[in-house]
Amino acid sequence: MSAELDLATLDDEGRAALERLILTLADSKRMMGIRYSDWLLGAPSLETGISASSMAQDEWGHARLLYAMLKDLGKDPVPVEHDRDASEYASIEALDEEMPDWAALVAAMVLADGAITAMLRSFADGNFSAAISRVPKMLAEEEFHSSLGAAWYRRLASTEGEARDLLSGATKAMLPALLAWVGADDAPMARVVSAGVIGAAEDRLAAFRGDVRELLSLVDVDVDSVAASNAWDEVRGRTSGHPAEEAVARARGDLNRALLVE
Amino acid sequence: MNEIVYEVFARKDRGGPLTHIGYIDAFDDETAKVYAWKTYDEEKWFEMCVVQRDAVIPVTDGEGLFAQLKRAHS
Repeated sequence: MSAELDLATLDDEGRAALERLILTLADSKRMMGIRYSDWLLGAPSLETGISASSMAQDEWGHARLLYAMLKDLGKDPVPVEHDRDASEYASIEALDEEMPDWAALVAAMVLADGAITAMLRSFADGNFSAAISRVPKMLAEEEFHSSLGAAWYRRLASTEGEARDLLSGATKAMLPALLAWVGADDAPMARVVSAGVIGAAEDRLAAFRGDVRELLSLVDVDVDSVAASNAWDEVRGRTSGHPAEEAVARARGDLNRALLVE
Repeated sequence: MNEIVYEVFARKDRGGPLTHIGYIDAFDDETAKVYAWKTYDEEKWFEMCVVQRDAVIPVTDGEGLFAQLKRAHS
């Protein structure tokens, strides 16, 4: 690993690029938690509901740690967490809407949570000191998410009929935008790559594809032949669109705004 | 795809007693590990393990939990 990044050596564009990277990771974690929380009730069993609850807590904890990294760039994370409109969120497109069924949540566990983890692995291997010190614990907790997602994916893929079809449909719907996000190589991402903060686009993509290739083949999806979405928003570092207003209101804590203590 | 009952055991500290803390239903060993860890997370366990209920062999007869379960399912 190279020497840790001296933030004073980053110019304004470099700092903005690092801020965009932190925000898209933090927002994605926050929305992943929202999507797990949607299944606290209604999961296939008590155990899966409890696991969804626990994973939601994991994700929100991870999001809080990632937002806190903005302090290193002189930015107050409190308004970032509590005052932004949905249109400003940089979370991944796969999490914009509530999962319509359990199969879609399983696909999100493997693909969306997996994509965030692939990005975080690369971030932890870079030279940004906050990522080096804080991300490994997140990755350790993510091993449980990955295990559960893979087990459920295999289970649903092995069935005949509706469950497998729903899983396959959700997989195909999520994948193009996730490939665009993991493989982003626009100017801001090129800045953080050249600064050593995160690995190159082709390496991140190869890692993500390697993580999911075998599982996706169970529903006859070849991850190497799926094209990435080209509906890219360079301002936020995600594909176009934004998370549902209702989900962002929950993420911001609008209902309990009067009780907000930071 | 029937669910399998797994018994959950854990110890708080190195050298402490391994205690039966509950059970979970899961469809394989991998999900059993996740469910156990996520369900019984009230302590910072030093060690946790799961055992399929069917694999537990009661040594004593009588009113012990596992002996009763074995009789009920035999």
